[in-house]
Amino acid sequence: MVKARTFGYFFKSSGRSLARNSWMTIASISTVAISLLVLGVFLLLAVNVGVAAQHMESQIEVTAYLLDMPRDHVQRLEQQVRSISGVSEVYHVSKDEAWERLLEWYGNDRTFLAGWEEENPLRESFEIRAESPELVSEIAGRVAGLSGVEEVVFGRELIEQILAITSAIRMVGTGLMIGLALAAMFIIANTIRIAVFSRRREISIMRYVGATKWFIRWPFIIEGWVLGLIGGVVASSILAWGYYLAVRYLLRVMPFWPLIAPWPFLQQLALGMLGIGSLIGIAGSALSLRRYLNV
Amino acid sequence: MLELVNVTKTYPDGPVALDSVSMRMDKGEFVFVVGQSGAGKTTLTRLLLCEEKPTSGSIYIQNKDITKLRPRHIPALRRSMGIVFQDFRLMPNWTVEENVAFAMIVVEAAPKQIKRRVAEVLDLVHLTHRRKQTPGQLSGGEQQRVALARAIVNSPDLLIADEPTGNLDPDTSWDIVKLILDINRIGTTVLMVTHAEQIVDRLRKRVVTLQNGRVVRDEEGGLYHG
Repeated sequence: MVKARTFGYFFKSSGRSLARNSWMTIASISTVAISLLVLGVFLLLAVNVGVAAQHMESQIEVTAYLLDMPRDHVQRLEQQVRSISGVSEVYHVSKDEAWERLLEWYGNDRTFLAGWEEENPLRESFEIRAESPELVSEIAGRVAGLSGVEEVVFGRELIEQILAITSAIRMVGTGLMIGLALAAMFIIANTIRIAVFSRRREISIMRYVGATKWFIRWPFIIEGWVLGLIGGVVASSILAWGYYLAVRYLLRVMPFWPLIAPWPFLQQLALGMLGIGSLIGIAGSALSLRRYLNV
Repeated sequence: MLELVNVTKTYPDGPVALDSVSMRMDKGEFVFVVGQSGAGKTTLTRLLLCEEKPTSGSIYIQNKDITKLRPRHIPALRRSMGIVFQDFRLMPNWTVEENVAFAMIVVEAAPKQIKRRVAEVLDLVHLTHRRKQTPGQLSGGEQQRVALARAIVNSPDLLIADEPTGNLDPDTSWDIVKLILDINRIGTTVLMVTHAEQIVDRLRKRVVTLQNGRVVRDEEGGLYHG
């Protein structure tokens, strides 16, 4: 066992070594940071797209656009839709309401819509919710068969596509992360190898005066850990700052877009990144010590 | 204190480095090991330090067979020994004081104790006035004195000196040998491997001569050449 006070010495000697091999230190920290940043960005994307998909799913299931028709026809059609089994809710969107929504979508900036105001080109629609998701396609088919219905937009397909994209983002992100994490680990292993090499004299003296295996190893383990940890700190700082900017921007341009709140999600993400960074660092160091430090 | 029983060491594709070597050293003894290059002197020190295991035979230190020592017990063994080499092996960027203290930091001595003991041994090797200097600022003899201080700072039972005067001029060599004798007088057992004929002949201590890996002579009060 190594005594607690000795860790002061270990940290000092690790720090000296990191400062001495400053280029390798920077390279190691950068690769850890980049690999964690990629992980973080993909994770944020996947989570946000997933949240958006869920949000959309909960909002609308089937939209039926209507042909132009008199008001009482619309009411009769609405009754018919309501009577379809499995329909839980029907909301009638008038042409005016559709227009209002579009305006809102554009942040009430009328320049986009100039020229259209005279004659509202939007269609009336029913927004239909099903009692359960499995019923959606059947309901959609039956609504499409009613006279006066011009087109049925089946939101589920879109949602499924979005979910497929989410899982693709996750897979690509995880794959990239693993590749980059391995690269980062090998660079740290190489940094530690150089550190071992540049301290071989000190290590040989340590052996002669009776240092234990762990006394010799600890400073290098700490060195690898510090590299990984700093990489994690750099990555999570960049990510938190970037996400903050992105959220601020998106809230301005697309206020309806459901984003995951930065807090406490980012905090958890940052902790995860520090943990993974530490693991990468310690693993890289251990890898090197196994090969180059036979004590 | 120290006993070798039929110790043989062969290296793959090499000649026999040590061939059935048996010898005994009592506590407090001073022994010269002499012989030509390749006679097996270096192998002997390596075996004593547990850097290698003999091919056959046993080595007892304090009645323990160190050839059967588990790797994790080797550090404890080395703490009971001090070693100095021909090339000093000091850390060039550290001060004299730091070089000596290092041996105590490594065995996790208390900071207070380190301070006190380092001052004590630096006084013993007459280097108190040089304690803040780095090895580069010292002469060869002074550097070897730093190495000696480091070797004895943890109060070892056995001091192994592997050609400690090999890089030094005759006068400086005598200073070092006198210090080693002082250390021996305090009660430390000393095994000194050397080529220095004059020193061996003048001190008339016990001399063990190695030739082609065998002990060809073991004589109390001997001379370099029989």
